Amino acid sequence: MAQRGLAVLAIAVMAVLAYGTGARGAAESVRNPDTLIILTYGDPQSLDPAYAYDTASEGVIWPGIYETLITYDGSVLSRYVPRLATMVPTLQNGLISKDGLTYTFPIRQGVHFHDGTVMTPEDVRYSMLRFMLQDRDGGPSWLLLTPLLGTDSTRTKGAVTVQYADAAKAVTVEGQNVVFHLKHPYAAFLSILAAWSFVLPEKWAAAHGDWDGTAGTWAKYNNPKLQDRYEFDHTNGTGPFVLQTWDRQAKEVILVRNDHYWRAPAKLGRVVIRTVTEFPARQLQLQRGDADAIAVDRPDQSKVTGMAGVTVQDGYPSLVIQVFHFNQKIDAAGNPDVGSGKLDGNGIPPDFFSDVHVRRGFAYAFDYGTFLRDGYRGKALQPNGPIIQGLLGYDASLPKYTFDKQKAIAEFKEAWGGKLWDTGFHFTETYNTGNAVRQIGAQIVKDDVESLNPKFHIDIRNIQFSSFLQLTVQHKGTLYALGWAVDYPDPDDFAQPFLASNGQYPKQNGFSDPHVDQLVKQAAQVADPAKRAEIYHELTKFAYDNVLAIYAAQPTNFVVMRSWVHGWYYNAVLPPLANVGFDFYTMSKQ
Amino acid sequence: MSRFIARRLLLLPFVALGVTALIFSLLQLLTPAMRASLYITDPKQLNALPDIIRKYHLDQPVYVQYWEWLRQVLHGDLGWSETAREPVLAAIRGYFPATFELALYSFVCILVLGIWLGTLSAVQKDKIVDHVSRSTSISGASLPTFVWGLVLLMVFYGHFGWFPPGRIGLDADLFVRSPQFHPYTGLLTIDALLNGQWWLLWDALRHLVLPVATLTYFITATLVRITRSSMLETLRADYVRTAEAKGLPRDVVVDKHARRNALIPVITLASLLFVGLLSGVVITETVFNWPGIGRWGVTASQQLDIPAVTGFALIFAGMLVLGNLCADVLYAVVDPRIRLQ
Repeated sequence: MAQRGLAVLAIAVMAVLAYGTGARGAAESVRNPDTLIILTYGDPQSLDPAYAYDTASEGVIWPGIYETLITYDGSVLSRYVPRLATMVPTLQNGLISKDGLTYTFPIRQGVHFHDGTVMTPEDVRYSMLRFMLQDRDGGPSWLLLTPLLGTDSTRTKGAVTVQYADAAKAVTVEGQNVVFHLKHPYAAFLSILAAWSFVLPEKWAAAHGDWDGTAGTWAKYNNPKLQDRYEFDHTNGTGPFVLQTWDRQAKEVILVRNDHYWRAPAKLGRVVIRTVTEFPARQLQLQRGDADAIAVDRPDQSKVTGMAGVTVQDGYPSLVIQVFHFNQKIDAAGNPDVGSGKLDGNGIPPDFFSDVHVRRGFAYAFDYGTFLRDGYRGKALQPNGPIIQGLLGYDASLPKYTFDKQKAIAEFKEAWGGKLWDTGFHFTETYNTGNAVRQIGAQIVKDDVESLNPKFHIDIRNIQFSSFLQLTVQHKGTLYALGWAVDYPDPDDFAQPFLASNGQYPKQNGFSDPHVDQLVKQAAQVADPAKRAEIYHELTKFAYDNVLAIYAAQPTNFVVMRSWVHGWYYNAVLPPLANVGFDFYTMSKQ
Repeated sequence: MSRFIARRLLLLPFVALGVTALIFSLLQLLTPAMRASLYITDPKQLNALPDIIRKYHLDQPVYVQYWEWLRQVLHGDLGWSETAREPVLAAIRGYFPATFELALYSFVCILVLGIWLGTLSAVQKDKIVDHVSRSTSISGASLPTFVWGLVLLMVFYGHFGWFPPGRIGLDADLFVRSPQFHPYTGLLTIDALLNGQWWLLWDALRHLVLPVATLTYFITATLVRITRSSMLETLRADYVRTAEAKGLPRDVVVDKHARRNALIPVITLASLLFVGLLSGVVITETVFNWPGIGRWGVTASQQLDIPAVTGFALIFAGMLVLGNLCADVLYAVVDPRIRLQ
């Protein structure tokens, strides 16, 4: 009784304090005026620009450390400005050939890498080739491989199939220019380069054990393991910030201003990106001004709204999708998430989700309305497939799954030849630590599916972000929550990773269909927007019929920052570090 | 005394061997394929499971496997931790100082406060001091750590801004990473002193206050209760009554005659408490964003990072053995009868 009384007292004290502290800090002066401090819950996986393919890693290295040839004009995704190139190629200025197959980039002179060496067109060429040919499983190399070599992977069934000569011919140096030779016309090519043409010095990389840029050695460097490369935790870009430290134990990255930056030094002297998985700790540090921007999931938004000295900017349209994936070919070796590994009620077989009735059962059993309400406070919409609103080919009238328990039961009764309903199943679904939205979604899956049949059991496990990514790449995920943030604003960036055999998720989840591959390829190459939209409609219908995943939500975006932070702008492509992306160069604290 | 310690030290390798055997036998609960998967870091290796099983002798008799594993451990190779992204031993070396520092300061506070309050409660039995001391310490044990930790954080950081979370402030962090700073021990307070940086010491102490207070409030209750009951029992002993009868002042009786004898169960408990603190105080570390070994241990176990969990268990078991040894030695120091036995 006494314990209950004390607990009530403690909660009351907390409530009073939480209320009382919310009004403080209005008249405080700027804390650490030279340093921007961002608190997030995802930890970087790698700082290698040819390996990093998650928002936590990308947000650290771009656009702060590494720069691209061209980039987006602030918030506008359809307009580009030159960066490491001096001009943006267009048909008008003749830097794009009339057949749309050749793009010429005059490379800026006098740009220095962080180690003081001068950037050359050869460095640009090396960086592009390295980006393509390193091609780790589940990595970003497909982004350049597809337009330049007409393939989305350097390997077929594990064996290297790309010829170095083809890659070498695709990117050439002509004087001070770097020329890209496309395999087919590719409408989104500039948009890809605006975010994925990072440049690092060839000699520096080779001196630290990386590929030396020659034809004979490249295959040795193909598909590396995470820590194989020096660039895993060392950087050498041209950007306005230099990596000072990446402390993986303290979970902290510190960037310092590059005082020799070729434009002009940034206003901020330092950027600190720290992983703090507990929301209350992030909240209090924001409140005290010890943090300038923090990651806040929608369910926690009300706790920072109205906080003195804090600005919440809401309603940004995002090109992000939240998805629950079905792994159709689970690696069961040493994998406790599959239980017994058999269809005996105590586990699931590795191919459990290969039965479309199972997937459809889950899709009907998921309460989309509750997820949008609890996970996003209603500020999201339910997509009907991987092609989301804002992209060419999105059509709201195409069918999507609704929460329907009867249909779910009917599907589960048909699954595994009618056996599943009697045997039941038991497995563990996963999501990344600290992500409150995915936690809610995972709980909804569990509650809704378990309510259908007492023999259905699902456990939930959260995993540190970087390890979670490793687990999914290693095919160990069962049903897992993982979203997709846009790489470049084109439907191909969603069709390829979600539907093509070599795309990130089909590869991780054991799905492959040559006809779909053909459609994805065709849609990327066709110039006529109407024809492209038609193909994307077909792909959306395929995704609906085959239920490759539960396409759960496309949220609107918001950012939570101290009011003293200035110069931030919203760009939907910048990798979201704390809800949104940051271009540290334009930012300051006043 | 030295013979007693030597005897205990001689036993230590056998105890350690027993511990490794126990941990190894727990690993045997996994199938060879599962144990082999511990060595897989790339999907390409999935096809090579039989090779891995052969390479690491996972298909050999248990004693061969044990010997191979022990050899690896004795060479300091505890495997690779996926969660820490570095060798297990390096991860332990990195995380341990933060935990050790937190444990050390907490332990001193717990010990001083626990023995003092316990003694006071016993001497003032059923008086107001006893009631206040007991109810305060019991309330600490009753409240979940995260509630108490959050309350402290909200009041003393959120409201007053006195004691921030984390192990160190921004300026101190930058200084510690600079070439001007030499990390001698990994304990920031000690290193700050050795570097002659008083402001750094102050910063490190500020960050220690709340987690230490949380742990002290949470754990002291147990020590208070044990000290109190042990003291009550001792105070009823004949020799204490004799001491009082011969007219010794009450303070002398309590301090010199009763407390020393009452300390034996307290030492047992204290050594276990200290080892418990060293193994990491997960919730406290999480609430205060303290980069300690406990948080890493939990993350590793959540992510089924078996090499990390095994390494963690080995180190923890080793500390437990050492903790018990220290307790044994302290018994002997406190109680001459044990030395004579």
